[in-house]
Amino acid sequence: MFNDSVLNEIEGIKAKYPDRRSALLPSLYIAQREFGWLSHEAMQYVAKTLNLPEAEVRGTSSFYAMFKHQPIGRHLIQLCTNVSCMILGAERLADMLVQKYGLQPNSTSPDGRFSLVIMECIGACGTAPAMLVNTDFHDNLTEKRIEEILEGYK
Amino acid sequence: MITLTINEKDITLEKPVTVLEAARKAGIKIPTLCHHEALKPFGGCRLCIVEVERMPRLQTACTLLAADGMVVKTESDTISKVRRGILEFLLINHPLDCPYCDKAGECELQDLVNKYGPTTGRFKEEKRKVPESHKDQIFTRNMERCVVCTRCVRMCSDVQGASAISIIGRGSHSKMEPFSTESFKCEYCGNCLTVCPVGAILSRLYIHSFRPWQIDKEVETLCSYCGVGCSLVAQVRDDSIKRVIPKIGLGLNKGLLCSRGRFGYEYINSAERLKMPLVRKNGELKESTWSEALSIVAEKMLEIKNTHGGPAIAGLASPRCSNEDNYVFQKFMRLACGTNNIDSISRTGFAAAQKYFEDLLGQGITANIIEGLRNSETILVLGGDPSAINPVLGLAIREAARRGAKITVLGNAKGLERFKTFQVVPSVFKEADVLEALLTEIYNTRGLRNENPALDRGIRTLCEKAAAKSDMQEVRDLRNILLGSASTAVVLGMDLLQRSDGHKALFAVAGLIYLLEARLYLLSEKPNEQGVIDTGCAPDLLPGGRPLGIHEFRRKFEAAWDGVIPEKEGLTLLEIINDASEKRIKALYIMGENPVFNLPDKPFVRGALKSLDFIVVQDIFLTETAELADVVLPALGWTERTGTYTNLERRIQLQHKAVETPSGMEDWKIISEISSKMGYRMNYSDSKDVMAEIAEVSPLYRDLTYQEISKGNCLWPYNGEPLRGEISEAPAAVNITKEYKDDFYLAVEKPLFHSGTLSRRAPALLKIYPEPALKVGMETAKKLELKDGDRVQFFTQYGSKEAFVSTDESIKDNRVYYSNNFKNNGVLHLMSFNMDNVTKAPGLEGCEVRIKKI
Repeated sequence: MFNDSVLNEIEGIKAKYPDRRSALLPSLYIAQREFGWLSHEAMQYVAKTLNLPEAEVRGTSSFYAMFKHQPIGRHLIQLCTNVSCMILGAERLADMLVQKYGLQPNSTSPDGRFSLVIMECIGACGTAPAMLVNTDFHDNLTEKRIEEILEGYK
Repeated sequence: MITLTINEKDITLEKPVTVLEAARKAGIKIPTLCHHEALKPFGGCRLCIVEVERMPRLQTACTLLAADGMVVKTESDTISKVRRGILEFLLINHPLDCPYCDKAGECELQDLVNKYGPTTGRFKEEKRKVPESHKDQIFTRNMERCVVCTRCVRMCSDVQGASAISIIGRGSHSKMEPFSTESFKCEYCGNCLTVCPVGAILSRLYIHSFRPWQIDKEVETLCSYCGVGCSLVAQVRDDSIKRVIPKIGLGLNKGLLCSRGRFGYEYINSAERLKMPLVRKNGELKESTWSEALSIVAEKMLEIKNTHGGPAIAGLASPRCSNEDNYVFQKFMRLACGTNNIDSISRTGFAAAQKYFEDLLGQGITANIIEGLRNSETILVLGGDPSAINPVLGLAIREAARRGAKITVLGNAKGLERFKTFQVVPSVFKEADVLEALLTEIYNTRGLRNENPALDRGIRTLCEKAAAKSDMQEVRDLRNILLGSASTAVVLGMDLLQRSDGHKALFAVAGLIYLLEARLYLLSEKPNEQGVIDTGCAPDLLPGGRPLGIHEFRRKFEAAWDGVIPEKEGLTLLEIINDASEKRIKALYIMGENPVFNLPDKPFVRGALKSLDFIVVQDIFLTETAELADVVLPALGWTERTGTYTNLERRIQLQHKAVETPSGMEDWKIISEISSKMGYRMNYSDSKDVMAEIAEVSPLYRDLTYQEISKGNCLWPYNGEPLRGEISEAPAAVNITKEYKDDFYLAVEKPLFHSGTLSRRAPALLKIYPEPALKVGMETAKKLELKDGDRVQFFTQYGSKEAFVSTDESIKDNRVYYSNNFKNNGVLHLMSFNMDNVTKAPGLEGCEVRIKKI
């Protein structure tokens, strides 16, 4: 359950809008931040906190790929393999993640440390290949650099 | 005034509507899939595209407002091509399993493809696979057939307000799902079934049992469950009801139904239905013939009348029976039996409240139209949950909330949890005090109206005696909401008056509606509670609400009926039971009612009935009461006979016969035969004859015929015309000094899925709500360390019972609720009662409850 400071954060969001439905997406982000992913219980809890129907919360959250409905690793890697990144070797990087970390796309590494999502363009074509780890942005990736970067996420 | 041209036809509109509506009014069909009359325009499926001159692209007729001078074409080669394309897209993932889909024959997609094509598909890819879900007890969900028109979701959230389902996922992966993914766990109104254009949601009650074109006949009739009186269509095949569906635009419910109305009909096919008259011989009820049973009743009643006099006989009429049945019943009691001891179970609530308010405020004060709730600025809900007791009336309150009305609730009301704007939860049994404080606040601010001297005096006496200002901030907030509202409605449930001082609360409510000029709605659990009163099944009233005590009225009826009406007012329900226990009443004639189960203090009621010399019960089932009877006469049930019902807004509607049953007789017919045998001749060939007589003798129904009623809108407000003369004083309040502390209190649950003891034989409703649970609020659960599914024993001073616990966030006080609908599993026998001497309703007593985990 949310602690008081998180509840206050949600109250703050609610206060911004005349309609409490408007507070749903930001509240779901907070729930995902706090619980790691959006379980049924988490969505139920958000619904209760905002006094919204549970089905509406689930319907809304299921629309967005950014909301996770299955447990994910401690850190979420989102790697771009669109045109620029692909030309500059992103697919090799993806293979390397499989070999080195046992990280298949759309799955979680066996140690529960990372989850990998192959995502569409993140607008970093000039400095491709690029990825997001949680909310941190990393570009000009090489296999070596990825290893160094991931060292920072235990 | 708007004039536009659609398909070269000039159409004039009074007010701006969409092109689609304008076309439909002019008889021009435009195909739609996501559009539905009961829902707001959506513009999702694009099938209603039309060509509009001087507009660059094709336009969706469902969202385009008609404008002056518009020239519209609804069919052209381009349009047909686009429609065919849209349908081809929809069919990419559709399984085309029409041969075994229940919807085939009434499927909108099937009809559209039949009209526009395509005849072949160009997509070679695999169709999406979603297994059909049978996890819910009532609904089958086939998401391969779904066209994602979202009608069901919009119906559920925008109209029903249950918001139990939503579209999950995105793009071609979209599908409709309830929150739990499997079971719907919703209000089971089934309104999603009404709007689904394809076979994506189907009812398991009749799945694969017939095809839509195999229906022999469709009968427009009325629901038999509550006092709203929803219209519905019974579809019949082989003389049995196959399906109950609403019809958009028919009746006051406009195509909406609740779980009871839609799924609760199967009880009429129950194997437990009474088929033959039963007569007690050597202490046991044995099957008999009609002629023997009727003769025994007539002889025995005559014998008791002759030895002990008419007043030793009493009768209970039924709010489940039609106006015709009840009219004939009171006429029989008065003229053939010579007694005015006529009442019904309604005295425990509706009839008591109705009489109290009419005494104070004039007849017709409760005759308000449900539709009007939608436009109220403020609605004050008291003494019950409208969404459970009268679900379709509850929908009007929810819609008012969506339109911005302030919904204020006193006490618990589960169905309004997400719709209320303000709630006051008085401590248990302090409701009257809070209402009096509220009345005082309003009196102090607004003063009297000086239109009703007796009520004015009563309010002044009450409010000046009370402390000048209430110390409850909540009450002052509620006062401010009510005073700031230009149109207020008060919706009153009967829990409020089932106290020995229940009339105190009623007086405060009367004061409130008088000072605020508010409209009053009485929630009514049974379909004909108003009709019972209107047809004269009350100890003090003749048909048409004419007081028995006024000599001229009695004289008029005696002339019309050619008989003698006893002069003395009769006894009310609880007085009858009491007099039976003291052997002053010798015979009781019960039509369609089950007092042994439906009154508190079962041992007392049972004992009272057992001490009678003679009991006759007319019913469709062998109820707990019928088991005690000397003669049991099988009556006809819903859809087996024709008759009129008067709903809570006093709308008179016709319930039609749809099927033939080999056994049983209409209630009025049984009674008229007995009456004739007893020497007071009654000659009605059918219920129409009875209605003709009612229309002749009662000014309320003047010139009313079945033909007239079938047209709809037969509403009978009495224009507030006071018929009882001036009341001199507001009834003095009885003060109960008993202190209630931190205990828990047992209360009777009014569930959405059950009604009286009828629904216990409706299999579908039993699937939704199979066994009662002890419903406790979160605070109570915390205090007693209870969680869902815990097994507990609960005790009152009259007994104990075991049950599962079910926690309910909407219960905000110390009450715990248990249902009184299931066989051998009621709760009223764990309470006693103390009659409220003013309203004559039972004040529930002995509800203090101890709860022990086991």
